[in-house]
Amino acid sequence: MEITTERRGHVTVISIVGSVDGLTAASLVGSFRKEVESGNIRIVGNFAGVDYTSSAGLRALLETVKETRQRGGDLRLAAVQRDVLRVLELSGFTHILKLFPDTESAAASFPVPGPSAS
Amino acid sequence: MRAAIERDARLESLQEIRDFIEEAGLRAGVDPSARFDLKLAVDEACANIIVHGYEPGKPGPIGVSFESDGRRVVLTITDRARPFDPKDAPVPDLDVDWRERRPGGLGWYLIRQVMDSVEYDSDPERGNRLTLVKTGAFPGGGGTC
Repeated sequence: MEITTERRGHVTVISIVGSVDGLTAASLVGSFRKEVESGNIRIVGNFAGVDYTSSAGLRALLETVKETRQRGGDLRLAAVQRDVLRVLELSGFTHILKLFPDTESAAASFPVPGPSAS
Repeated sequence: MRAAIERDARLESLQEIRDFIEEAGLRAGVDPSARFDLKLAVDEACANIIVHGYEPGKPGPIGVSFESDGRRVVLTITDRARPFDPKDAPVPDLDVDWRERRPGGLGWYLIRQVMDSVEYDSDPERGNRLTLVKTGAFPGGGGTC
Protein backbone atom coordinates (compact mmCIF):
# COMPACT_ATOMS: atom_id res chain seq x y z
CA MET A 1 0.00 0.00 0.00
CA GLU A 2 1.25 3.50 -0.84
CA ILE A 3 0.13 6.66 0.90
CA THR A 4 0.86 10.20 -0.28
CA THR A 5 -0.13 13.35 1.56
CA GLU A 6 -0.66 16.67 -0.17
CA ARG A 7 -1.77 20.08 1.12
CA ARG A 8 -4.37 21.83 -1.01
CA GLY A 9 -5.01 25.17 0.66
CA HIS A 10 -6.81 24.50 3.93
CA VAL A 11 -7.44 20.85 3.07
CA THR A 12 -5.12 17.83 3.29
CA VAL A 13 -5.57 15.15 0.64
CA ILE A 14 -4.33 11.69 1.62
CA SER A 15 -4.20 9.38 -1.39
CA ILE A 16 -4.07 5.65 -0.80
CA VAL A 17 -3.14 3.05 -3.40
CA GLY A 18 -3.52 -0.67 -2.69
CA SER A 19 -5.36 -2.86 -0.22
CA VAL A 20 -6.25 -1.89 3.34
CA ASP A 21 -6.17 -4.93 5.64
CA GLY A 22 -5.07 -5.94 9.13
CA LEU A 23 -1.44 -5.38 8.18
CA THR A 24 -1.57 -2.19 6.12
CA ALA A 25 -4.26 -0.35 8.12
CA ALA A 26 -1.59 0.61 10.66
CA SER A 27 0.13 2.81 8.04
CA LEU A 28 -3.17 4.46 7.22
CA VAL A 29 -3.90 5.15 10.89
CA GLY A 30 -0.39 6.59 11.24
CA SER A 31 -0.84 8.94 8.28
CA PHE A 32 -4.22 10.16 9.50
CA ARG A 33 -2.99 10.66 13.08
CA LYS A 34 0.06 12.60 11.91
CA GLU A 35 -2.14 15.11 10.11
CA VAL A 36 -4.66 15.46 12.93
CA GLU A 37 -1.90 15.94 15.51
CA SER A 38 -0.40 18.65 13.27
CA GLY A 39 -3.74 20.47 13.34
CA ASN A 40 -4.73 19.46 9.81
CA ILE A 41 -8.28 18.44 10.60
CA ARG A 42 -9.88 18.90 7.18
CA ILE A 43 -8.88 15.69 5.43
CA VAL A 44 -9.90 14.14 2.13
CA GLY A 45 -9.18 10.43 1.79
CA ASN A 46 -8.63 9.81 -1.91
CA PHE A 47 -9.74 6.19 -2.35
CA ALA A 48 -9.47 6.07 -6.16
CA GLY A 49 -6.62 3.56 -5.85
CA VAL A 50 -8.06 1.43 -3.04
CA ASP A 51 -9.23 -1.93 -4.39
CA TYR A 52 -9.93 -3.58 -1.05
CA THR A 53 -10.67 -2.81 2.57
CA SER A 54 -11.47 -5.03 5.50
CA SER A 55 -12.90 -3.96 8.85
CA ALA A 56 -9.36 -2.90 9.79
CA GLY A 57 -9.70 -0.04 7.30
CA LEU A 58 -13.10 0.87 8.69
CA ARG A 59 -11.59 1.11 12.16
CA ALA A 60 -8.99 3.60 10.83
CA LEU A 61 -11.71 5.67 9.16
CA LEU A 62 -13.93 5.72 12.26
CA GLU A 63 -11.09 6.79 14.52
CA THR A 64 -10.16 9.62 12.15
CA VAL A 65 -13.75 10.80 11.65
CA LYS A 66 -14.12 11.07 15.42
CA GLU A 67 -10.77 12.80 15.93
CA THR A 68 -11.33 15.38 13.19
CA ARG A 69 -14.98 16.14 13.98
CA GLN A 70 -14.28 16.58 17.67
CA ARG A 71 -11.79 19.30 16.62
CA GLY A 72 -14.21 20.97 14.21
CA GLY A 73 -12.94 19.30 11.04
CA ASP A 74 -13.88 16.16 9.12
CA LEU A 75 -12.62 13.21 7.11
CA ARG A 76 -14.36 12.94 3.74
CA LEU A 77 -13.81 10.26 1.13
CA ALA A 78 -13.40 10.69 -2.59
CA ALA A 79 -13.66 8.29 -5.54
CA VAL A 80 -14.54 5.18 -3.52
CA GLN A 81 -14.51 2.15 -5.82
CA ARG A 82 -17.46 -0.23 -6.11
CA ASP A 83 -16.21 -3.12 -3.94
CA VAL A 84 -14.97 -0.81 -1.19
CA LEU A 85 -18.26 1.10 -1.32
CA ARG A 86 -20.05 -2.20 -0.70
CA VAL A 87 -18.04 -2.73 2.51
CA LEU A 88 -18.87 0.83 3.62
CA GLU A 89 -22.56 0.26 2.89
CA LEU A 90 -22.74 -3.13 4.64
CA SER A 91 -21.18 -1.69 7.78
CA GLY A 92 -23.34 1.44 7.87
CA PHE A 93 -20.39 3.74 7.15
CA THR A 94 -22.13 5.47 4.26
CA HIS A 95 -24.35 7.07 6.93
CA ILE A 96 -21.33 8.24 8.89
CA LEU A 97 -18.95 9.43 6.17
CA LYS A 98 -19.51 12.04 3.49
CA LEU A 99 -18.57 10.61 0.09
CA PHE A 100 -17.70 12.54 -3.08
CA PRO A 101 -17.08 11.44 -6.65
CA ASP A 102 -13.58 12.99 -6.80
CA THR A 103 -10.98 14.77 -4.67
CA GLU A 104 -11.81 18.18 -6.17
CA SER A 105 -15.43 18.11 -5.05
CA ALA A 106 -14.48 16.61 -1.67
CA ALA A 107 -11.88 19.35 -1.07
CA ALA A 108 -14.29 22.07 -2.23
CA SER A 109 -16.93 20.83 0.24
CA PHE A 110 -14.88 22.20 3.15
CA PRO A 111 -15.72 25.85 3.80
CA VAL A 112 -12.77 28.23 3.58
CA PRO A 113 -11.94 29.40 7.11
CA GLY A 114 -12.65 33.10 7.52
CA PRO A 115 -10.01 35.63 8.68
CA SER A 116 -11.58 35.68 12.15
CA ALA A 117 -10.52 32.06 12.59
CA SER A 118 -6.87 33.03 13.07
CA MET B 1 -12.61 -28.14 -7.90
CA ARG B 2 -10.67 -27.99 -4.66
CA ALA B 3 -7.60 -25.99 -3.66
CA ALA B 4 -5.91 -25.42 -0.33
CA ILE B 5 -3.04 -23.55 1.26
CA GLU B 6 -1.50 -23.30 4.69
CA ARG B 7 0.30 -20.25 6.03
CA ASP B 8 1.71 -18.97 9.30
CA ALA B 9 -0.76 -16.89 11.27
CA ARG B 10 0.91 -13.55 10.55
CA LEU B 11 -0.70 -10.37 9.24
CA GLU B 12 1.80 -10.55 6.37
CA SER B 13 0.00 -13.72 5.19
CA LEU B 14 -3.34 -11.97 4.61
CA GLN B 15 -2.53 -10.68 1.11
CA GLU B 16 -1.29 -14.12 0.05
CA ILE B 17 -4.44 -15.76 1.37
CA ARG B 18 -6.63 -13.25 -0.52
CA ASP B 19 -4.59 -13.87 -3.67
CA PHE B 20 -5.18 -17.61 -3.24
CA ILE B 21 -8.95 -17.06 -2.99
CA GLU B 22 -8.93 -14.75 -6.03
CA GLU B 23 -7.07 -17.30 -8.13
CA ALA B 24 -9.21 -20.25 -6.99
CA GLY B 25 -12.37 -18.21 -7.57
CA LEU B 26 -11.25 -17.30 -11.07
CA ARG B 27 -10.51 -20.95 -11.90
CA ALA B 28 -13.91 -22.00 -10.53
CA GLY B 29 -15.74 -19.33 -12.57
CA VAL B 30 -16.95 -17.31 -9.57
CA ASP B 31 -18.18 -13.87 -10.59
CA PRO B 32 -16.07 -10.81 -9.61
CA SER B 33 -18.30 -9.37 -6.88
CA ALA B 34 -18.65 -12.79 -5.23
CA ARG B 35 -14.85 -13.23 -5.39
CA PHE B 36 -14.56 -9.97 -3.46
CA ASP B 37 -17.02 -11.29 -0.85
CA LEU B 38 -15.07 -14.55 -0.47
CA LYS B 39 -11.81 -12.64 0.00
CA LEU B 40 -13.40 -10.34 2.56
CA ALA B 41 -14.85 -13.24 4.57
CA VAL B 42 -11.60 -15.22 4.61
CA ASP B 43 -9.53 -12.14 5.38
CA GLU B 44 -11.72 -11.19 8.35
CA ALA B 45 -11.72 -14.74 9.74
CA CYS B 46 -7.94 -15.12 9.36
CA ALA B 47 -7.24 -11.66 10.83
CA ASN B 48 -9.26 -12.64 13.91
CA ILE B 49 -7.25 -15.85 14.32
CA ILE B 50 -3.97 -13.95 13.86
CA VAL B 51 -4.79 -11.07 16.21
CA HIS B 52 -7.01 -12.73 18.83
CA GLY B 53 -6.45 -16.49 18.46
CA TYR B 54 -2.78 -17.30 18.74
CA GLU B 55 -0.61 -15.99 21.55
CA PRO B 56 1.33 -12.87 20.55
CA GLY B 57 4.67 -13.84 19.01
CA LYS B 58 3.65 -17.49 18.65
CA PRO B 59 1.90 -17.75 15.28
CA GLY B 60 0.70 -21.24 14.46
CA PRO B 61 -0.75 -22.51 11.19
CA ILE B 62 -3.85 -21.32 9.33
CA GLY B 63 -5.27 -23.61 6.67
CA VAL B 64 -7.66 -22.32 4.01
CA SER B 65 -9.44 -24.57 1.55
CA PHE B 66 -11.68 -23.62 -1.37
CA GLU B 67 -14.21 -26.07 -2.77
CA SER B 68 -16.70 -25.48 -5.54
CA ASP B 69 -19.13 -27.73 -7.33
CA GLY B 70 -20.16 -24.99 -9.76
CA ARG B 71 -23.22 -24.10 -7.69
CA ARG B 72 -21.81 -23.02 -4.38
CA VAL B 73 -18.45 -22.29 -2.79
CA VAL B 74 -17.40 -23.81 0.52
CA LEU B 75 -14.47 -22.22 2.33
CA THR B 76 -12.92 -24.00 5.29
CA ILE B 77 -10.52 -22.27 7.64
CA THR B 78 -8.63 -24.36 10.18
CA ASP B 79 -6.34 -23.32 13.00
CA ARG B 80 -4.98 -24.48 16.33
CA ALA B 81 -5.43 -21.21 18.17
CA ARG B 82 -7.61 -20.51 21.19
CA PRO B 83 -11.18 -21.55 20.27
CA PHE B 84 -13.66 -18.79 19.52
CA ASP B 85 -17.22 -19.55 18.53
CA PRO B 86 -18.52 -16.77 16.22
CA LYS B 87 -21.88 -17.11 17.97
CA ASP B 88 -20.17 -15.27 20.85
CA ALA B 89 -19.15 -12.31 18.67
CA PRO B 90 -20.88 -9.08 19.69
CA VAL B 91 -23.27 -7.65 17.10
CA PRO B 92 -22.43 -4.05 16.24
CA ASP B 93 -25.16 -1.43 16.38
CA LEU B 94 -25.07 0.21 12.94
CA ASP B 95 -27.84 2.69 13.63
CA VAL B 96 -26.14 4.81 16.26
CA ASP B 97 -24.62 8.23 15.69
CA TRP B 98 -20.92 8.44 14.73
CA ARG B 99 -20.11 9.58 18.28
CA GLU B 100 -21.53 6.32 19.63
CA ARG B 101 -20.04 3.96 17.06
CA ARG B 102 -17.41 1.71 18.62
CA PRO B 103 -14.35 0.64 16.64
CA GLY B 104 -14.14 -3.05 15.88
CA GLY B 105 -16.76 -5.79 16.10
CA LEU B 106 -17.41 -5.52 12.37
CA GLY B 107 -15.39 -8.51 11.19
CA TRP B 108 -17.89 -11.24 12.04
CA TYR B 109 -20.76 -8.99 11.05
CA LEU B 110 -19.28 -8.57 7.55
CA ILE B 111 -18.63 -12.32 7.25
CA ARG B 112 -22.29 -13.02 7.99
CA GLN B 113 -23.41 -10.36 5.52
CA VAL B 114 -21.44 -11.73 2.57
CA MET B 115 -21.73 -15.48 3.23
CA ASP B 116 -24.87 -17.63 3.33
CA SER B 117 -23.85 -19.88 6.16
CA VAL B 118 -21.26 -19.77 8.94
CA GLU B 119 -20.51 -22.93 10.92
CA TYR B 120 -17.90 -23.48 13.55
CA ASP B 121 -16.63 -26.44 15.48
CA SER B 122 -13.70 -26.97 17.78
CA ASP B 123 -12.02 -30.16 18.85
CA PRO B 124 -9.03 -30.45 21.20
CA GLU B 125 -7.35 -32.97 18.88
CA ARG B 126 -8.23 -31.60 15.46
CA GLY B 127 -8.31 -27.88 16.31
CA ASN B 128 -10.81 -25.26 15.16
CA ARG B 129 -12.71 -25.34 11.90
CA LEU B 130 -14.80 -22.57 10.38
CA THR B 131 -16.94 -23.47 7.38
CA LEU B 132 -18.29 -20.65 5.23
CA VAL B 133 -20.71 -21.28 2.36
CA LYS B 134 -21.73 -18.95 -0.44
CA THR B 135 -24.39 -19.77 -2.98
CA GLY B 136 -25.24 -17.68 -6.03
CA ALA B 137 -21.56 -16.97 -6.59
CA PHE B 138 -21.61 -17.70 -10.29
CA PRO B 139 -22.67 -15.62 -13.30
CA GLY B 140 -26.43 -15.85 -13.64
CA GLY B 141 -26.69 -16.82 -9.99
CA GLY B 142 -26.32 -20.55 -10.63
CA GLY B 143 -23.74 -23.03 -11.81
CA THR B 144 -21.13 -22.76 -14.55
CA CYS B 145 -22.07 -25.94 -16.35
